[in-house]
Amino acid sequence: MSRTPSETRLAATRPDRTPPVVKGALVEVADLTWRPFGRRAPVLAGISLRVEAGSRVLLAGPSGSGKSTLLRALAGVLTTTETGELTGSVMIDGSPATGSSVGLLMQDPADALVAGRVGRDVAFGPENFGLPRGQIWSRVRAALAAVGFPYDEDHATSALSGGETQRLALAGVLALTPSLVLLDEPTSMLDPASAAIVREAIISAVRASGATLLMVEHRLSDWVDAVDRLVVLDASGLVSADGPVATTLVRYGETLAAQGVWVPGADDPTPLQVSRELCAPTLPRSERGPGGWPGHARQAEDSIQPAPGDRCSPGEPPGPGDRRGPSGSVLVSAESVSLIRQHRVSVMSANRPAVAVEVLHDVGAEVRAGECVAVVGPSGAGKSSLTMLLAGVDAPTRGKVIGRNAVRDGAGSSPPEALHRWTSQALAAGFGWVPQQAEQAVVARTVRDDVLSTSRRLGLDDDAAQARADGLLAVLGLSGLAGADPHHLSGGEQRRLALAGAITHGPSVLVLDEPSVGQDRLTWSAVAGVVVAARDAGVAVVLATHDPLLIALADRQVRLRAGRVVAAAPEPSAPSAPEGSSTTDSSVGLGTTAEQGGVVRQEESRVPTVVPGPGFTGLAGRCGPLSLLLASIVLVLGAPFITTVRTALIAVGIEIALAPLVLGLGRPTWRRLLPCLFAVASVSFSNWLLSPAREVSSGALAGLRVAFFVLPGVLLALRIDPSALGDQLGQLLRLPARPVVAAVAALYRFEGLGEHWDQLARIRRVRGLAGAGRSPLDRGRSAVALTFGLLIETLRQAGWMAVAMEARGFSAVVSPTGCAPRRTWAEPATWRTADSLMVALGLFVAGLPVLLSR
Amino acid sequence: MTQPRKTQLPPQDTHPTSSSTGSPVTTVTVLATRPLMRWRGVDLITTAMLGVAFGVVFWGFDVFIYPVLSTATAGFPPVAELMLGVWLLPAVVGGLVVRRPGAALFTELVAANVSMVLGNEWGAAVLLSGLLQGLGVELVLALFRHRRFGLAVAVLGGVLSAVFEIVFYEWHSFVAEYSVAWKAIFLGCGMVSGAVIAGLGGWLLVRALARTGSLNAFPAGQEVRESNPV
Repeated sequence: MSRTPSETRLAATRPDRTPPVVKGALVEVADLTWRPFGRRAPVLAGISLRVEAGSRVLLAGPSGSGKSTLLRALAGVLTTTETGELTGSVMIDGSPATGSSVGLLMQDPADALVAGRVGRDVAFGPENFGLPRGQIWSRVRAALAAVGFPYDEDHATSALSGGETQRLALAGVLALTPSLVLLDEPTSMLDPASAAIVREAIISAVRASGATLLMVEHRLSDWVDAVDRLVVLDASGLVSADGPVATTLVRYGETLAAQGVWVPGADDPTPLQVSRELCAPTLPRSERGPGGWPGHARQAEDSIQPAPGDRCSPGEPPGPGDRRGPSGSVLVSAESVSLIRQHRVSVMSANRPAVAVEVLHDVGAEVRAGECVAVVGPSGAGKSSLTMLLAGVDAPTRGKVIGRNAVRDGAGSSPPEALHRWTSQALAAGFGWVPQQAEQAVVARTVRDDVLSTSRRLGLDDDAAQARADGLLAVLGLSGLAGADPHHLSGGEQRRLALAGAITHGPSVLVLDEPSVGQDRLTWSAVAGVVVAARDAGVAVVLATHDPLLIALADRQVRLRAGRVVAAAPEPSAPSAPEGSSTTDSSVGLGTTAEQGGVVRQEESRVPTVVPGPGFTGLAGRCGPLSLLLASIVLVLGAPFITTVRTALIAVGIEIALAPLVLGLGRPTWRRLLPCLFAVASVSFSNWLLSPAREVSSGALAGLRVAFFVLPGVLLALRIDPSALGDQLGQLLRLPARPVVAAVAALYRFEGLGEHWDQLARIRRVRGLAGAGRSPLDRGRSAVALTFGLLIETLRQAGWMAVAMEARGFSAVVSPTGCAPRRTWAEPATWRTADSLMVALGLFVAGLPVLLSR
Repeated sequence: MTQPRKTQLPPQDTHPTSSSTGSPVTTVTVLATRPLMRWRGVDLITTAMLGVAFGVVFWGFDVFIYPVLSTATAGFPPVAELMLGVWLLPAVVGGLVVRRPGAALFTELVAANVSMVLGNEWGAAVLLSGLLQGLGVELVLALFRHRRFGLAVAVLGGVLSAVFEIVFYEWHSFVAEYSVAWKAIFLGCGMVSGAVIAGLGGWLLVRALARTGSLNAFPAGQEVRESNPV
């Protein structure tokens, strides 16, 4: 994640280049009705709206009132991922919407990324409409300047924080100079500091461009000064109020607040009163009675010696003023933990060295029973990482995290010292963890089964567990959905489901990562109520959060900054706080500049396509990816012609002799070659074993034949940059453009999907579902479950990507006959002499077996 | 747009099958919107993303399961070949989800490309494998004119995919020196794996995904949805 102190200079450095001014669009929606197939009730029920040219309108309403659906209908992307009945009309300036006149900015900034470099990503829209290359780049620069983007065009998109990514997405939208700009909750997934910066960028850029603005938001206070009109939708999807912001708020403020919208001037919501028994920790096994729940353990009461301020003995309803003192016993302690994340090899970093980032440095923390600890700090400070360590789902690189007292007792017979080595069941007995993206945490077929899954796995009393589950579902507003498939729930509902699932089995430690993101007032109360009840019932609660209202509920704060604990100090004001994202915490690859007292990491602002090795890079270093690919494939085709060991030896010998010329004089990558050599050895062995005469020469021949095409193939493949390959396939080979572009855009999601896989594995572990054994059957079952979860997330991301890309004109220029569109390419693909040489060399070497056998 | 308009209802194909009680039951197969080669944006992107996701799965598979298997079956490919179906999954899943010509091939090629660029042990040769595997499934789907996508079609696709891969590639590269009998056994193991893991497994996977509502943009999801309106 890169942060620069230039955020404060955003307003000062006005760019010279001003973006072209458009005439804002007049929007007329008449009686629009949308019923997706498979739903009985329509989502939009005959809504009518008129927005004057150049005005700025804010749409507000309770969750489920169809606001986002309306925006997608205006952008013309409603039928991208859904089929249904659409009636009524939408007119932009008197005619149906075309791709380039409407721009849509979505909630999750990561959904809109399609390329590896900033400039290329912004160029996506103009490319789709077939603009010539010169115009594309001038638009790109103007758009980036309009949003005040802090980096240049060559910056890697994977190295951006959430707020920067959202600004990049905004630049991508503005590059097509739309006359109507639609914003779908643009700052709801960002932390307050980045949200402020993005908000400022949006306001200034849209104002400067003169487009009509229509936006949906839940938190109104930040935006009321920036818009002219407020339109309120009611729960059934019809307009209930429409007028100037100030007067509409005065009249409808209370109604909106009651429906859950965060209205400026309304009182802060208070946590709901939740019964403590719903959240009370299950006693450790030694103290547990036959039922396993506090209410059943009456005979064990005398054996428990409550420490002063410790949780009250079970079975006794706590009095109203009975607040736990913070001196409960320590349940988890992290001692001098450091965490270094090594980036997993990604498709796009095949040419870059893997960068290790120190996420936490020498952090110590303690978590006590009956206490609520808030882990606070700017984005990227390591909050999520610390909470994962405390929940036992991740391992520290140095230092240790230890479970103590009640948590340890409940973990069965002598668990290992380090928390991350505990078995899944032991961990599940004492811990509940809700990750940041809690929509991933679905583990069963129905909502009820999901909530009960850990309790059942731990063998707790089913009746008590069901009563508790029903109570929690009722508190969190999910009772009506108890029999539904969790995948059909909305995002907010899934997050609340994850919370219920984490606490039903009565953990002693509850770790929550950003529990209140995206919640409206009502659901915020419910979530906060559960947190407070858990704390009062003796659970140790750890919250990683930006939300000041939640922080106010905590007893104690652990303040992190750049991976280190800092002394409690007033929160720095927004402009000087480094910007970051609340969606991902771990830095992706590249470092930050030094801050006061922060960790100095290497800074990289440019990512070259091919990293030249030291010294002579060889022929392959000067080639484009297509020639490397062709050369490798040609070698495969030549392999079957090797018929004698002598031919094989000569051919492989010549390859080895040519290697320095082709691959350069850098250090050979032995690590990559080892699996190949193992594969070659294994092929030799099996061919020797199963050949008709069991001769050594058969084995050697087979092995050498495989080595002939595998060894150079692997080494050449490492130098292939997928996005450059895509450009060459599209421009040189004239393959259809859209599939190539889609494939390259998808390749950039590889790293995120890999992290998702890891996260799914962690969730299964903390819910007690990961098998204890390492047998192939257990692993097979895990693999199937993880694959299924990964595919669901993939399909979800693909859907949003499709919406974002279609909104930028991906299918814009499809001719009526369905032929390939006339799309242009922002970057040229050239075929150099080195490429021809490479292919020629490949043909020569591939032809050797034929020549030698004469 | 001033007229009320329905989005194009996906074409459907009804064909009689007999249930276990013997009475005829009609099942509805939803087909991709016609013209078949007019790929929608979401078709292209989802196919590519599925390919990348399977690239991740292969990665995870290599880390989780393959080491266990390899040490157990080191140097005895016929048994290791029973895992071939995992590499054929993208083609079957891609074909069953998108239901257009080229979907299986595209998914498989993207997955192979991910493998290759990540640095798996076979290098660019996996692209050739991917091509053959994808073609196998494509051929079967084309034989049914892209109108049938049931279990039998999936299994057949998996089997033919394995056959193409082994007969045209692996017989000449990895197991070229085997005796004829062992080559046949090798092929047999591959075909079984293709049928069970790729064919049956892929079909079950697509059905399960459709039930979660993840495939609402596709025919497979539409088959499930209309029968269970929310």
